[in-house]
Amino acid sequence: MIGRIAACVALTLVVAVPLRVEAHHSAVMFDDQKEVTLDGTVKEFQYTNPHSWLLVDVTNKDGSVTTWGFEAEGPSTLLRNGVRPGDLKFGTKLKITGHPMKDGRPGALWMKAVRDDGKEFWPGGRPRGQADNP
Amino acid sequence: MRFVRTALFGLLTLATITAAFAQGNRPTQTADDFRRMLAMGTKYRTASEFYAALKAAAPGGGRQMPAFAQLPDWSGLWMASGGGNFFSPGPGGTAPKLTAAAQSALNQGADNQTKGIEYDENLSQCGPPGYPRWLVIPFLREFIVRPEETWLTSETVNNVRRIYTDGRDHPPVDERYPLYYGDSIGFWDGPKLVIHTNQLMERSMGRNQPTQSEKMETVEIWQTVNPTTVKADVWIFDPALYTEPWYVQRLYARQPNDDKSLRIRYWSCNENPNNDVIKTPDGSTNYKDFTFDDKPKEPAK
Repeated sequence: MIGRIAACVALTLVVAVPLRVEAHHSAVMFDDQKEVTLDGTVKEFQYTNPHSWLLVDVTNKDGSVTTWGFEAEGPSTLLRNGVRPGDLKFGTKLKITGHPMKDGRPGALWMKAVRDDGKEFWPGGRPRGQADNP
Repeated sequence: MRFVRTALFGLLTLATITAAFAQGNRPTQTADDFRRMLAMGTKYRTASEFYAALKAAAPGGGRQMPAFAQLPDWSGLWMASGGGNFFSPGPGGTAPKLTAAAQSALNQGADNQTKGIEYDENLSQCGPPGYPRWLVIPFLREFIVRPEETWLTSETVNNVRRIYTDGRDHPPVDERYPLYYGDSIGFWDGPKLVIHTNQLMERSMGRNQPTQSEKMETVEIWQTVNPTTVKADVWIFDPALYTEPWYVQRLYARQPNDDKSLRIRYWSCNENPNNDVIKTPDGSTNYKDFTFDDKPKEPAK
């Protein structure tokens, strides 16, 4: 019983935290019930207000390349969460996770990225209870 | 059934844990204190009368500008304590007394929310949040305090609220016109900054929230709670929204910045075309065309 409760609380915490703050626009264009995780290479880190975009080139199964955009808050929020513009330079390989757009365009609300050296980046803040970067 | 009970218990526990995280070591307002503060405002018919009474009760009738050394130290960067709006019940469950129009707008907003329809009439096209929404927006703030004037600023759309404490009054009636942040005058009651704001603009108070009127006026009392917390007690008078004045308390937390890396930068939605959004036919929000396929900018040398 206790184990089940603990599992339930832990699961809900992972789902609920971090919470997106009220930024320049609503996040209704993203599907918060879905996640997409992709391997790719950084094309450009647009470190801008009011939102930043990490553009990532992803090679599809047929060999073509699609540029995905992962949206995060602006620079001051990223800095407070340890995501600096120099951390994700052109050509950096990573695995990135986000909530995809509902309309099917290659965009997502950026949740987490893991650089090829194992360093993790949580633009909206690391979920509580998770260990720091290795 | 057992699983449902377990899940409910889990959610309750989550709510408790989340509330504890959210509060941290910040002071929480008791139901009794909330009712006492609310009653301070409801005694008065208008915000002007309330402000005048506070000023009359202050030492020297609120007419003396303090020396700079007597002012509180609100240097550094601050952030609002998260969430909140102007229509939720206060501690103890005391609810605002809303007009029928405000209640109807809230119901409509809740219905939109359920359907996943959201658009920000203030911010989506990079307009200012305006006041009093300014009190609840996220991101960094700076409070610049001088004897004759205080600037309450926020990085969101480069907001500045100017609070004149040099003894001036509001402009004459014939010179008044609606403003995003209104016209704010104030005085120092010892360590407390007391503010009266009028000349506000009729506009949305936030996503799926009612519209404030040009008759809105507010009284605020700002003061230091502890070295990392400043609080604002705010009374809102708006006959288009409330049948009695409403009261909210906002807390602002000083941000750790030992290495001085955090700074407020200029905020423009025109900086990146990927941030352009449109209002969809159903009244919600979506992005315009992306420029993901464009050639990336050359990195700075």
